[in-house]
Amino acid sequence: MSLAVRIIPCLDVRGGRVVKGINFKDIVDAGDPAEAAKRYDAEGADEICMLDIDASFEERSITIETVKSIASQVFIPFTVGGGIKSLKDIDMLLKSGADKVSINTSAILNPDLIVEASKEYGAQCIVLAIDAKQDGEIWNVYTHGGKNKTDLNAIEWAKKGQELGAGEILMTSMDKDGTKSGFDNNLYKELSNNLSIPVIASGGAGELTHLVDAVKFGKADALLAASIFHYEEISINKVKKALQIEGFEVRL
Amino acid sequence: MRLGVVDYGASNIHSVARALKSLGSKVLIVDTPDKFKRIDKLVFPGQGSMGSCVKKLKETEMINPLLEVVNSKPFLGICLGLQILFNSSEESKEKGLGVIDGSITKIKDINNENLKIPHMGWNNVKIEKKHELFSGIEDKQFFYFVHSFVAAKTETSITTTHYGEEFVSSLATENIFATQFHPEKSGEIGLKFLENFINWKI
Repeated sequence: MSLAVRIIPCLDVRGGRVVKGINFKDIVDAGDPAEAAKRYDAEGADEICMLDIDASFEERSITIETVKSIASQVFIPFTVGGGIKSLKDIDMLLKSGADKVSINTSAILNPDLIVEASKEYGAQCIVLAIDAKQDGEIWNVYTHGGKNKTDLNAIEWAKKGQELGAGEILMTSMDKDGTKSGFDNNLYKELSNNLSIPVIASGGAGELTHLVDAVKFGKADALLAASIFHYEEISINKVKKALQIEGFEVRL
Repeated sequence: MRLGVVDYGASNIHSVARALKSLGSKVLIVDTPDKFKRIDKLVFPGQGSMGSCVKKLKETEMINPLLEVVNSKPFLGICLGLQILFNSSEESKEKGLGVIDGSITKIKDINNENLKIPHMGWNNVKIEKKHELFSGIEDKQFFYFVHSFVAAKTETSITTTHYGEEFVSSLATENIFATQFHPEKSGEIGLKFLENFINWKI
């Protein structure tokens, strides 16, 4: 008996509303976050993730209200990310009801944040989020919601993140995100082979087989997707049944 | 009836309090020694290491009133709240409450499954012994876990779970129930379990 493969619907939120973009651009409105979270919980989501896209200082109070609203209605693990810069930000989100925080750009600018946050709150609540784009044989890391290219190699950065104290890696393939053409399984396989902490695969889910393949070939521990669940193109239940048929443990 | 939730300053108690409130309970956050007298039942959600937890309980002078409740009123320990009931833990030198005989050890990867530690995620809970707190909950349901240390099987075990080795995922004595899993994060089934605790009569 092993751990169930986790299915994590992601709510991309801006200004207290769910939105969804294609390839990090073209944002469209898609509803109330707490309602969406409740629906996902009822459909069998194993966790809920909320990413505050381009969260700014002014919008922080809206984010907190959204986090509180989701946490008072949904009783499964809840990860919040977007614009987290300090231990104070993390503290506020955890107190508002997040169980884990996902840190992306700030971890690159200030790796000590991962070290300190992990020490203070435990590795289990620190998710290192990475946006990566393939360039020949390697994957490069991008910051600021995919806007800026860095010199970092995604696999190496993930390994470093584990060392610093991250409890999970949430890797988004920018090449695949929003394309519905399947996950970047080579990236996830490479990651899983190099890490001892769980890998959450994100970006590219369009069909049932894509999700199954990310576990089967990409060896992902968890799958994160936004639009396919949001627009009810594929149900969480269907994904789990498909995984079960392939012999993977799922919570049904 | 008033439910107390212990806050010793190093644990995320909010999700437990929120879940209990969503079930209609009156919740009192117990963060000073005097508040232990004002509650009918107590929930102890724990996080972190046994050492730092016991130290904090001593510093805040909450350890004796806590022990009094553990010995008399309906008590629910969650995660570290289960481990702290034991005599000791491999994790720290500081002794536990010693209410249950035995010690806490690091998860062992007996079959070399290349286990990821902490054990984090949804896993099966196998019911070994009937108990009111599992009424209406079927055998081998999934609950949510986050931990690196475990208690070995004892006479008090109610459920077991397998991860690297078979460990106690919940246990009970007359007035104590303790879980290694997090019912407050285990969705509908977790809420059912908490509801059973709210209705539990000893």
